[in-house]
Amino acid sequence: MNKILFFSISLLLLLPSCIEIIDDLTIHNDGSGTFKYTINLSASKIKVNSILALDSLDGKKVPSMAEIKAKANSFAANLKSQPGISNVTMSINDVDLIIKLSFDFNSVLNFKNGLKAAIISIGNSKQVDELNQNWLSWDGKVLKRDIPLLSLTISEQLKETDLDLLKTGSYTSICRFDRAIDKVERANTKINPNKTAAMLKVNTYDLQKNNSLLDNCIYLIPLKN
Amino acid sequence: MKKFVLFLFTLSFLNLYSQSELLIPRDAVTVFSINNVSLLQKISMDELVQYDFMEEVHQELFDGSTAEKTLKDSGIDFNQRLNVFYGKSDNSELSGFTFGVSNTKNLFEVFDDFEELQSKYSNVKIYGSFFNNLVIKNNTALLIRIEPSSELIDAQTDSIWYSRGNSYPYGYDPYDDDEFSGEIIFEEEVFDEEDSLISPESNDFPIANEDPTEKNYYELRDSVQLELQKGLLTNLLDELLIENANLVSSDAIFKDQLTHPCEGTFYLDNSRSLSQTNSLWYFQTVMPSLYKDIKELYTGNIILGDLFLKEQSIEFLVEARYGEKLGSIYQEMNDSKFDKNITKYIHKGNSAYFTYNVNMRKAYEKAYEVLMPILSSEKNSDIAMNVLAFELLNELVNKDALFETYRGSMFGTFNGIKKINTKKIEFYYDEETFEYGEKETEATEDMPVFTIGFSIGRGDIPEIILKNLGRVTSKFEKHDDYWVFKNAILDAAPLYMINKNDLFIFTNDEDLAINHSDGYGSNSLPKKIVKELKKEGFMNGYIDIAGTLNRFPSDLLNERRTEMINSLKGKSGKMYLESSKTTNKSTNFKMTYEFRGDENSGKHLLDLVNTIYIFSK
Repeated sequence: MNKILFFSISLLLLLPSCIEIIDDLTIHNDGSGTFKYTINLSASKIKVNSILALDSLDGKKVPSMAEIKAKANSFAANLKSQPGISNVTMSINDVDLIIKLSFDFNSVLNFKNGLKAAIISIGNSKQVDELNQNWLSWDGKVLKRDIPLLSLTISEQLKETDLDLLKTGSYTSICRFDRAIDKVERANTKINPNKTAAMLKVNTYDLQKNNSLLDNCIYLIPLKN
Repeated sequence: MKKFVLFLFTLSFLNLYSQSELLIPRDAVTVFSINNVSLLQKISMDELVQYDFMEEVHQELFDGSTAEKTLKDSGIDFNQRLNVFYGKSDNSELSGFTFGVSNTKNLFEVFDDFEELQSKYSNVKIYGSFFNNLVIKNNTALLIRIEPSSELIDAQTDSIWYSRGNSYPYGYDPYDDDEFSGEIIFEEEVFDEEDSLISPESNDFPIANEDPTEKNYYELRDSVQLELQKGLLTNLLDELLIENANLVSSDAIFKDQLTHPCEGTFYLDNSRSLSQTNSLWYFQTVMPSLYKDIKELYTGNIILGDLFLKEQSIEFLVEARYGEKLGSIYQEMNDSKFDKNITKYIHKGNSAYFTYNVNMRKAYEKAYEVLMPILSSEKNSDIAMNVLAFELLNELVNKDALFETYRGSMFGTFNGIKKINTKKIEFYYDEETFEYGEKETEATEDMPVFTIGFSIGRGDIPEIILKNLGRVTSKFEKHDDYWVFKNAILDAAPLYMINKNDLFIFTNDEDLAINHSDGYGSNSLPKKIVKELKKEGFMNGYIDIAGTLNRFPSDLLNERRTEMINSLKGKSGKMYLESSKTTNKSTNFKMTYEFRGDENSGKHLLDLVNTIYIFSK
């Protein structure tokens, strides 16, 4: 079962040539918020469907769409049961190959712990150490985020031929706040006109080559008392 | 085992005429023999060991104990013919090769796992390793692996196991009524996350006996296997070395085949391979007379091949021989006028195509004539009901409509890689808020483009089907010259159907459907090739390796096929397959691999062997 999950993640995230990923994190002043994650493979339908039609790839069993859906639903169900997590929705559009996950959290700590527990519940327990990494921190004034080590582990297993396939993909990271952003560390971050949202878009190939491209530190203007 | 056989196959490119073939067991069904002086002159051994398959051979045979040695040092006499064989009987499977020996000392430095066994045969030494036996008689050798069938081993083991008073070896015995007297309650199966369905821990294994001096079931089975193996080997060696009974002495066709002045020969006795096919065991045991009739039908069904290596090509001539009855069906089937419409739809630039030209109506009539008396004479209720169904269908079905809808002739082409128009979902962002939404946009993806078409005399029948499918789903759409089935391929690309000119064509080539529904006109196959196709037999094919395999999108294939395609990529050559007219005795095929460049034919041949190796591993 673990292999199915691991392969599914690898397949969905890394094999297709044209992949679009959006992570959209909203953090309110009190630390609660909403996380939305979208994977769009619609531009690679032929390739993904042809892979899904295979029995195995690189010596690993290729899961069916039904198995992937079942695993995703199991993940969502587990996430729903985590403390501080609510309004979990998971949708898989198997025609256009778009996967969407969305949920609310009451604190950043519960967000991270809930996500970690849900991954462990369906994933590879050997990677618990990587999940213990503090990839997101929020102190009410500064949001600091790194790329999770787990995704690095998966990307390190990619072959050079797979890497070429990532060249046309994109990863967009959006952070939204209740109040204005003061400054950001990553220079190419776009900030919206009213300064409440920051968007960083990178190429998936560049991201694999340089994992720190999405690392960012966003400073907000202090709260008025 | 595949590696082993391939190794033997590989070695067979390295020899000359000799008496080594006199050690081929008469149970061998398939034999590949090479007498290749010319090959050895052209290929250096140093080149040979660079191949992938040789790397495996080094790992398997040299075991590191003879590091840095090559086959040059193996003690094999390359002046003798080398024969690779395979055979299967009801009770056993054998494979191996025979070859000449020039230096026994060197040979055993390579085959360093072999130990000498006692031999009862004069002038014959026998050696054994864990899997194989090596028999050396004068300057010829037989390397053989003979395995009893698992059915035979199981039967013998069970017999001994139960006769010793043992119970069912796998836990609960479903046939033992005494074991459970109460109600059986099936508990819900609970799987732990860490469990795997294929985990060996979850299988039932026979429980080991507490007495360590008594063999458990599997230990007993191993002993039975070993003893059966010994018995089979002894019988085989008695035949070969005492009775001098071998394939050459028992099969005049094979003997004759060896005299052909070519670099290599191929022999496959289909009639014997049929009788050893496991799938026919039911007929063999339940309907022996029908089985006998089927066997008779296959009598004389032999495939013979000669391999010729030329400067810029490799030619493989194959003769498929049949018995009279089966031959009469093939003859009728292949007695078909070439459908010239087919060639209109093969573009002159297509890098691969095939044509298959048969007459299904004639084949059906002849098969009915030949097979029905055989089936009707069988005294079996199931067969009798099938015969009744066949006869009724024969009377009631409109055969004219059926065989005009599917005449049997067909063609296929590979049209290269083309950009296929698809739809994709794109996310757009609001620059004010960074909120995003979805919109459908046009996209293109690479796809191999194939066409497959069938000769048809009743185009109205598929039209009825398509018309009604079009009413059921909007995915089927009729256009002036073609039908389209949207998203038929991998849920992304359309499939086009052209129903014109007495052909029904499936293609994912939009250009063919929209712009060339009547064929490619002056851009179709040249007249010269069309003439040749008309003149030749029922099957023809062509592949331009550079134009086909080099362009094939390997990421659409699984790993093994990708490796195979990659191993051929970069080569420039053309393969042609042609067949002769079929008689009631045989059909001849000729496969030619033409290549360009400075490399000699043997090198190209080994390249192909390397590809087969990668495919088979």
